[in-house]
Amino acid sequence: MGFRSYLFKRLFYAVLVLFVILTFNFILFRVMPGDPEKMIIDPNFTVEAKQELRRQYGLDDPIMTQYFNYMKSLLRFDMGLSFNTRRPVWSELKERLPNTLILFVVTFISTATVGISLGVYAAANRGRYAERFVVGAGLFAHAVPGFFIQLLLLLVLGYYWPILPIHGTMSAPPPDGGFALFLDRVWHLILPAGSNVVIGFGSWALYTRNTMLEALSQDYIVTARAKGLQRGEILYHHALRSVLPPIVTLIFMSLPGAVSGAVITESIFSWHGVGRYLLDATLQMDYPAAQGAFYLIALSVIISNLLADIAYGLVDPRIRVGAGGQR
Amino acid sequence: MQKRIRLMLALVLSFTLAFGVAAMPVAAAVEFSDRGPNVDEIIMPIIKEQTARRIAFERGESVVWAGLTQPADIDQAKSLEIADMRMTLGFHMFYLCFNMRKAPFNDATIRHAMAYITDRDNIIRTLFKGYMLPMTSFVPQASVFYYDEVPTYPFSLAKASQLLDNAGYKLDATGKNRIDPNTGKPLPAMKIFTPTYEVAPTSAELGKMIAESAQKVGLPVEPEPMDFNVMLDKIDIADFDMYVLAWSLSRNPTHLVNFFHSNQDVEAGYNNPGIRSAELDAALDILDTAPDLATAKAAADEAQLILAREMPYIPLYSRPYIDAFRKDMVTGYIDMAGYGAASSKNQWTVLNIRQVDETGTPLDGGTIRWALSEEPKNLNPTTASSAYEWDVLDKLFDGLLTMHPESLEDMPWMAKKWDVDTWEVEPGKEGTVITWYLQEGIKWSDGVSFTAEDIDFTINFLKDNKVPRYLPYTENIVKTELVDDYTVKVYFDTVSYWHLYNADLVFLPKHIWQDVEDYQSFEPWLEPHPTMEGYTKLVGHGPFMLKEYRPGEFVRLVKNPNYWRLNATGK
Repeated sequence: MGFRSYLFKRLFYAVLVLFVILTFNFILFRVMPGDPEKMIIDPNFTVEAKQELRRQYGLDDPIMTQYFNYMKSLLRFDMGLSFNTRRPVWSELKERLPNTLILFVVTFISTATVGISLGVYAAANRGRYAERFVVGAGLFAHAVPGFFIQLLLLLVLGYYWPILPIHGTMSAPPPDGGFALFLDRVWHLILPAGSNVVIGFGSWALYTRNTMLEALSQDYIVTARAKGLQRGEILYHHALRSVLPPIVTLIFMSLPGAVSGAVITESIFSWHGVGRYLLDATLQMDYPAAQGAFYLIALSVIISNLLADIAYGLVDPRIRVGAGGQR
Repeated sequence: MQKRIRLMLALVLSFTLAFGVAAMPVAAAVEFSDRGPNVDEIIMPIIKEQTARRIAFERGESVVWAGLTQPADIDQAKSLEIADMRMTLGFHMFYLCFNMRKAPFNDATIRHAMAYITDRDNIIRTLFKGYMLPMTSFVPQASVFYYDEVPTYPFSLAKASQLLDNAGYKLDATGKNRIDPNTGKPLPAMKIFTPTYEVAPTSAELGKMIAESAQKVGLPVEPEPMDFNVMLDKIDIADFDMYVLAWSLSRNPTHLVNFFHSNQDVEAGYNNPGIRSAELDAALDILDTAPDLATAKAAADEAQLILAREMPYIPLYSRPYIDAFRKDMVTGYIDMAGYGAASSKNQWTVLNIRQVDETGTPLDGGTIRWALSEEPKNLNPTTASSAYEWDVLDKLFDGLLTMHPESLEDMPWMAKKWDVDTWEVEPGKEGTVITWYLQEGIKWSDGVSFTAEDIDFTINFLKDNKVPRYLPYTENIVKTELVDDYTVKVYFDTVSYWHLYNADLVFLPKHIWQDVEDYQSFEPWLEPHPTMEGYTKLVGHGPFMLKEYRPGEFVRLVKNPNYWRLNATGK
């Protein structure tokens, strides 16, 4: 099978998966306990007012009508009006998406860089204190609940040694001028992104160390050593390169976390992002808002998977051939 | 009024004991004024995380740490020298509800026995370190309609046992369960639904404490924590024995009608216990349609007496408002019964709060920071629904009436006076007509005059569009009549004194809203004002106006230069 048919097949599966996810997305909220208008627990809100609200929400339509309207709207990328705020969901998501992406990109690059570097360093220093320290710190950071580390850092760097801002993405009001504003945003990013690095570097470091150790015990590494290659060249040009494909997979599979994994960080640091939006929408039974956010997550998961498949197909021909079941 | 003063004193005393003399509130050196505001700007950073709000308060990034509910937070706040703790009675009610539609809860004996085994004092001491007030009636103590001469059921296991024995609920051979005299069988397990420990730990623990107490007299009560939405669903279809939940009420007792009238025992109605009592209905009908306050008060007293006897709920406790202010940064905050010193409904604090210098001397002008605990996502007054949104909007809009902060009695505000009369809707049917007489010289924040025409426009706009949030207030309005620029009549098709409050809405500027075609998609805080550069179409007549809103970051309000209650100096 050629790369083009491999690509088409992947695309077809992606569309199919998206359709199934969107359908489940619709059903899930309607079978969940609770009703949007029941979230209004106000003794002055009469039965008639609740009925009017249901009518305006479109919840008094037959379920199939609701489903077709929902699918039709999503195909046009129209996520409707939030029940809670009566604002277009896409407008609300657009406000938050850049913040989530900035936090994710900075966190991801920093975490991957720190984690992979430490993993390589630990593997290169097997049996020494350096390795024990990296493994111990990595296990500790991986084992302790993330929110605990974040609250701890908030207290230490926001209260006992108050050198960093404790909430938001900018000062209130923000400074004038482009560069001053940029610095202000970087200053606000340090604590949330830094705490994410502390939480996340462990898994990267341990994974890299383990795969590197395996690679370093391979015959071609022994050969490279026998050829008298430099230690750094062996580590980075031979061993690390051979373990990159699974790490690339990890990179792509981590992308959906940009939206879904940010709930806790965004809550603790009052970061105006999509994660917290999704949580609030789900708790408040705000169907359009939650569906819109899930739609975004589903899209990012599917696109990430697709990119991972394409990247795999490009770097490893065995995969695209194997997928066709024939040579 | 004497009763209320006694209650206030009792509250102060209880807090004196709870907080210790050294940490008692320091009275703010302010004059109570109905003019203001005294600051030029309020910046409201949005800080969602509780610990971060605490840190912001201690770092001086917020002059208030508002709405403290957790004992640990209250203890932390009172330990700070910079904090001035303010406490007032609240309109909150936490209760245990019985399902009176089913046995054995259809028997008042069981409900009374449950009331006797409920040790409110112990619950409040154990779970809330004393920072709650035990409740015995169905109207919060802060309300002028609170009636304290209803029968009470002080904690007594002996009395509960005696009551059950006398009614034939004898203990079985094991001594652990009682026999139902109607069936001759042991009483079935009786469940108390509560939210889960993860969501509401005190509510879950409270259910457990009541169950353990009930088991001591042979009532097989068990706590059943569950997902909150599942619990609401089960309550909605009356699939429960008992549950615990809270209400946020208001100063008027109309909630009694919504909660306990038999006509509310319908789908989506609030009569969850399913109480159906002709005697109670009669009292509630009078309460609902009372033409004056005296009639309403008598009916509310009667209803509370019947409810204390019938006991569809056990009122458990009421949460006071506890707020901490930075006394080294601000002064002038006003305690308001039922609403607290920092509530958005307390316009007196908004008008009176001012900065102080290092020596504590009050200053004029300047900027204060006041943290919001959530994002005000929607600043359209017709669709804004959450308290966080009204935290902002309440500072931008005034009412026709206001309340005295201590007595909660009505005070003229944008209306200098009003009449409540009746009119003939049709032969043989009377309705209420409210006549508003407006103060002259009130302007919108963009300088346009506020007149009766704005009132007329708003009422008809809300009615024509069937705006759900306002439907309960406008559904009985038949018509409006503009008498002149400063007089307007609002006609209701039923007689009720409460229509006075139904006719006092959040009024919209006609010159802005008359062109709005779809009120739901209108975002006045995002659309630039047609004539005022740097401002938006969110035009109000309150002490502040919106200058800047960065979603998720902060709200910036500035003093409204056209405010009609500015200080005499114009500042």
